[in-house]
Amino acid sequence: MWSRRVIGIAAACAALCGSGGVEAAAWRDGAHVYEKVCRYCHEAGVGPVIRGRNLPVEYVQRVVRFGNRAMPAFRPSEIDDASLADVARLISSGTPLAKE
Amino acid sequence: MKEQRKVLPKGIGAADFDKAVRELRAIVGDEYVLIDDEKLAPYRKIMMPVPDEQHALSASVMPDGVEEIQRVMKVANKYRIPVYPVSTGKNLGYGSAAPVQRGQIVMDLRRMNRIIEVDAELCTALVEPGVTYQQLYDYLQEHKLPLWFSCPAPSAIAGPVGNMVDRGVGYTPYGEHFLFSCGMEVVLADGQVLRTGMGAMENSNTWQVFKWGYGPTLDGIFTQSNFGVVTKMGMWLMPAPPDFRPFCIQYPNETDITKIVEALRPLRIAMVIPNAVVIAHTLWEAPCKPVKRADYVTGPGAISDEAVKKIQADHDIGAWNVYAGLYGTKETNDANWKIIEAVAAGTGGKIITQEASKGSKALEYRFDLMKGKPNLGEFGLYNWRGGGGSIWFAPVSQAKGSETLKQMRMAKTILAKYGFDYVGEFIVGWRDMHHVIDLLYDRSNPEQMEKAYACYDELLHTFAKEGYGMYRANTAFAEKVAATYGPVKRDVEKRLKKALDPNNIIAPGRCGISL
Repeated sequence: MWSRRVIGIAAACAALCGSGGVEAAAWRDGAHVYEKVCRYCHEAGVGPVIRGRNLPVEYVQRVVRFGNRAMPAFRPSEIDDASLADVARLISSGTPLAKE
Repeated sequence: MKEQRKVLPKGIGAADFDKAVRELRAIVGDEYVLIDDEKLAPYRKIMMPVPDEQHALSASVMPDGVEEIQRVMKVANKYRIPVYPVSTGKNLGYGSAAPVQRGQIVMDLRRMNRIIEVDAELCTALVEPGVTYQQLYDYLQEHKLPLWFSCPAPSAIAGPVGNMVDRGVGYTPYGEHFLFSCGMEVVLADGQVLRTGMGAMENSNTWQVFKWGYGPTLDGIFTQSNFGVVTKMGMWLMPAPPDFRPFCIQYPNETDITKIVEALRPLRIAMVIPNAVVIAHTLWEAPCKPVKRADYVTGPGAISDEAVKKIQADHDIGAWNVYAGLYGTKETNDANWKIIEAVAAGTGGKIITQEASKGSKALEYRFDLMKGKPNLGEFGLYNWRGGGGSIWFAPVSQAKGSETLKQMRMAKTILAKYGFDYVGEFIVGWRDMHHVIDLLYDRSNPEQMEKAYACYDELLHTFAKEGYGMYRANTAFAEKVAATYGPVKRDVEKRLKKALDPNNIIAPGRCGISL
């Protein structure tokens, strides 16, 4: 059976909420969301730069949930409320990310 | 705060709906059933040229696991409420996460994001619908597994199950994604769990290595359909080659497409070039450079050929830009490289190697996609017009030069009639081409919305008259696209639907299939 041959998932995705023997991935924190989602557009000339512009936290959260023109909307199943609040705070405050 | 419920499923009273919601909450937990209008906003965001209301959902339910899905099916059957499964929900320009018809409950499978197994020796993976390509990429990197997969352009946020189920394509030698899937687990409308291929057998360890099993092969009926909910999928991974040599060949004239296709087809069929070759038009490249449309076009109407030529000259972009790669050892790639150089020289193309591509965003994201490295570089396309309107017009073509030129000219003429630009590319299968055109328009402009709808409609029907069918289509046009494939196929699909889902509860209307 496949369930006995499970390898398990990455330690980096270790905030776990799984069932059935294999853990589901979750975000570590807001910086993780920024690194794996936001930066692909917002630091690549596709979407506007959003960090360091004092964008209000509530505004960032709303744009993520509603989308904006071509920007896709993100559901709570993709980015949970707590991780969204954290990434919005980071973007708004311009806090350096772990990688910097 | 009281929840604001706005859209009821067709034919369902408020009292029954509320009862169904209570039962769904008892299954998955209160926080994983949404009915509040504001909270459903992310599911309503579409890029198609129809009103949001046409695809408004009644609720979202987010089960975590097969057993919960089975119980959700029972509730759906009991109340005759349709559910619309989505995986990562990023089918942008094809319907996103919104249901095919108003008043369906989206069954959001994003929480099911387990990478159940990666077998490094057999180069296979078994994943759930909520796994993204980025997640799988990170997993392989972190475990230092030298394995690659093929992904579509929105790879960082999209995932393999949803893309395969919609029969999407990518850019590595495994680019025809359904072809490289192996084994599915499907929850049927009556709650039974089917494992396809070898997975049907108790104790089988060959589910992810042999596709066919015994008797009819069923996997195909669960793609571009609504006969079940795919909850696991096996996929083949490619060993990272010792030497990877991506390249671009630029051609100066639009009519060069004929000689490009004639020269590349034999190399693709013989697998000298093993991956899905992309032949991208100037206006696919330009926004990803990025080039601004407003610098070349003023006023309404499609961009002129002269302006396109000027963009080519100003930004060093070909009329056509061929992307392909060699995947092998240094020795085999050295040998095949001579063939590529000879083909480019013989057809008047200019080769750009990876070394020479440095600094070009348009080339870099393509080269990354050809080795299955996720990014979102292609979203630059959306800046061409702005306004968030996009639908993919995607007819299939033979891999013959004369056919591709004919299709390109047909599309360009119809697009121009409505004031839209030809932003297209051909993705070469082995003997076919997916001719993919991004019909970009401003969704905040009602006139452009109307024109985009009419334009797609004319494209669809004009191409169908010539015998050209879509490989994939957005949910707003599902019924019309299905109709182009004739009555017998549709009748068989309906009979299958009746047999497998007699209460019509899984995504009725998906790909035109309903009771």
